[in-house]
Amino acid sequence: MTDSTTNRMRMTQEMTSARIKRFSAVDRVFHLFLMVTFLIQSATGFSRLFFTTTWGKQLGYVFGGYETSLIVHKWVGVFMMIGFVIHTIYLLTRVQWRNLPQSIFGPDSLVPNLNDARHLWQRFRWFFGLGSPPKFDRWTYWEKFDYWAVYWGLPLLAVTGLMIMYPLVTSSLLPGWSLNIALLLHRAEAVLATSYIFIIHFFIGHARPASFPMNEAMFAGSIPLEEALEERPAWVARLAQEGKLALVSSKPPALWYRVVYFVFGYAALACGVYLLINGIIYSGAVRLH
Amino acid sequence: MVNHRSFFMMRTPFRRIVNIWAATALLVQALILPNVLVAQEEVASALRRFKDREVSTGYYEEYEVLPRRQQPLISVPGVRKGTFPYSPTAAQARIRTRLADSHQGIKFYYVLRCEFCHAEETKDIHTVRANLTCRQCHGGEPIASIEHFYSPLNPIRRHAYVCAKCHEGASASFASYVVHEPAAGSIAAKNDFPTLYYSYWFIFLLLVGTLAFFIPHTFLVGVRELIAKAKKTKKDDERHDTGDGEQDAEQADIKRGDEPADRSQDEQNFKQEDIERSDVRDQRRDDGLDDKQDEDDPRDDKRTD
Repeated sequence: MTDSTTNRMRMTQEMTSARIKRFSAVDRVFHLFLMVTFLIQSATGFSRLFFTTTWGKQLGYVFGGYETSLIVHKWVGVFMMIGFVIHTIYLLTRVQWRNLPQSIFGPDSLVPNLNDARHLWQRFRWFFGLGSPPKFDRWTYWEKFDYWAVYWGLPLLAVTGLMIMYPLVTSSLLPGWSLNIALLLHRAEAVLATSYIFIIHFFIGHARPASFPMNEAMFAGSIPLEEALEERPAWVARLAQEGKLALVSSKPPALWYRVVYFVFGYAALACGVYLLINGIIYSGAVRLH
Repeated sequence: MVNHRSFFMMRTPFRRIVNIWAATALLVQALILPNVLVAQEEVASALRRFKDREVSTGYYEEYEVLPRRQQPLISVPGVRKGTFPYSPTAAQARIRTRLADSHQGIKFYYVLRCEFCHAEETKDIHTVRANLTCRQCHGGEPIASIEHFYSPLNPIRRHAYVCAKCHEGASASFASYVVHEPAAGSIAAKNDFPTLYYSYWFIFLLLVGTLAFFIPHTFLVGVRELIAKAKKTKKDDERHDTGDGEQDAEQADIKRGDEPADRSQDEQNFKQEDIERSDVRDQRRDDGLDDKQDEDDPRDDKRTD
């Protein structure tokens, strides 16, 4: 038996039962925190945005009415800002300062690089049957986009939110008309974020054939090695080459845990889709500013 | 009393003359001077007065002040040519945003409501969300133009006279918030409020661009993965039915979840007899081949025992 065959066999064996770790517990807690806060912010924000419609009023009642939904919105917003700061500190601890270029531009980094552009191009060719699908590494380009969209969207919402939360302070630092801009940006960025999450992120996480009925990676923390080989062959190859496959192997999630996160995930999905559909129905009643 | 008596003691023709003069004077002032009685009262009709109720409840109805009657003979610059000039300095007061009465000279003004003409101005946050009425900021009739020197909305005192009523501590900077902002993407905004205009187009293009890229992208992902899945299933089915000449799956490819993960040693010590093939055996037995093969299979002997 040749070495390559043995290797292949060994790989296939691992494939059939092994799981590979994708997200640490900290990553998953951040995602869970963001899920809950984002949905609350969407619901309270929409209840105020659509306040002039019957649906908006009903949505507001859930949070105790027009005024109290704003109080909820502000507090949850403050929690999100704190979460953002903690996440940034966490991010800084993950950077390998002694090996900075590799840490930032390497394949384990979420920073976009030229490979992502190449993958995008390859993937579009693949869409139309003009080539093979790109061999993704640890993070695909749309996952990087997801991450950075939140990472710059959240501070924008936080800054504009703080501005309209404390208009008198704002007007002592900036001209009062900056509040007009802040209101516009807060609303438009919120519409962008909600529509992106409720349409695209949800579709990628639940509805596309590779993920249906639910992409469990962000809850289970691990994916079957088989799935990783199919979706991220470059990553698995890199790990195998570096001999790190055993290091990232993981146990499958317990059944009770799967039940919990399926119920929770679908509840969140339902909330988001509910807000999206009603938002589209009543979109005629609101303006972007 | 004396005066009254002397008036009634006057001779009738003279009294008539006085009446005629008084009536004429009243007529003249009615034509020239504004109606002083209802001018600055918060009423919607001669019968309905709700200022007291509103002040006590703090809740302002949608009613607006009944506009005072116009002076039909007064000319209004740019609007109407009357018998009398608007003011001795009317030539300088041609800009409507600088009039003491900004609605001076508008026809049928007394039957109009603010929103008949200022429809766009009723859609801002203060009106829609804070439920403010126009006059809570602009004051009662006659509504001064916002640039008029004595107007409470004049930028020199707006923050103190108007904004601070709700926003305690409002500064002049605070008052530069544009309550009736132009439609953010409009040419009007480009001229009057360029920062709003460019912010709007920046965020709007970002929104539309993101969705315009990712919605088709995600849709294509879905379709392409569906096709790939269908093709794979079809290929598997064909291989299952006919075989396509490809090498058969190796033993190690067969998933055996009940066995330990590390089977490399098993593979090397692989023996044919380890594989239990009860179905094949049954088949053979049915075909009458069992007897010949029995000798080869020691386990079969055990079973027959």
